[in-house]
Amino acid sequence: MFKYLNPSYIFTITGKILNVLKFIVTPIIIIGVIFSVFVSPIDYIQGDAVRIMYIHVPSAWISLICFAAISFLAILNFLFKIKSATLFYKSLAPIGLTFCFIAIFTGALWGQPTWGTWWAWDARLTSMLILSFFYIIFICGYKLTSNSERSAKICSFISVLGLINLIIIKYSVSWWPTLHQPSSISLFRESTVHLSMLIPLIIMLFALLLYSALIFLMKYRIETIRVKKKSLKD
Amino acid sequence: MIIDILNLNGHGVFVWPSFIFPLLVCYILFLRTKKTLSKLEKENIKEIKILSQQKFEHIKKQKISLLNSKT
Repeated sequence: MFKYLNPSYIFTITGKILNVLKFIVTPIIIIGVIFSVFVSPIDYIQGDAVRIMYIHVPSAWISLICFAAISFLAILNFLFKIKSATLFYKSLAPIGLTFCFIAIFTGALWGQPTWGTWWAWDARLTSMLILSFFYIIFICGYKLTSNSERSAKICSFISVLGLINLIIIKYSVSWWPTLHQPSSISLFRESTVHLSMLIPLIIMLFALLLYSALIFLMKYRIETIRVKKKSLKD
Repeated sequence: MIIDILNLNGHGVFVWPSFIFPLLVCYILFLRTKKTLSKLEKENIKEIKILSQQKFEHIKKQKISLLNSKT
């Protein structure tokens, strides 16, 4: 299994996958936007404002998935000293931060027509804002620390705290009375979103996941080259 | 018709920025990452060329010294 975590092995494969991804990401994003803005129906309460959901929800999901993956990798690196895990989390963190900001921004834009306010200090919104701070601290944690062991310690510590925040984000709508609606889509029960709205949502999620994969692979190559250069200098 | 699409029943002012801003941010992130990657890849190729040249010269020197020692 560890053969597949070997940076040189992954470096060769990433080059091939990158070439394919570069060509398919843009058309899928365009299809997703067309479905979201023109094809999907209007919500009977929210009207056209519901279209913001197609960008807000996938962004929020990706930012949460990224942090969960980062935390897992940072803890793995701290416990078992798997150096390639650092390459993975360094490549994932900027993507997660970007999508976290997008989720907060689009959430504010969605909040104004539906709740009548851009921002409220409610549990879900605040915990998402805290997640963005965790991302920033995490990125600073490895960028500003030259010592790899200390960096691993800092990153794993932030990850553990961030994981607690992830649980808070997930259950914030159930634990506290919030403006934010409870989740409509779950892996374990039937979705309350109609299929005509679910399809554009899945297309946008798929498009943004492909985009994330593209950036991740590019960042991974950058980090691998940096490590190679550093080892050549040493 | 175009005005209707832009207006989106009064929600256009919220809907359009929510698509334009994230896609713009994603595009900028892509361009920046691509620029850094191509710069690093070029530097990496240069370094590998220099290193392989040095290695070649080193092997050449070793062969010459071996030949000298035999004679």
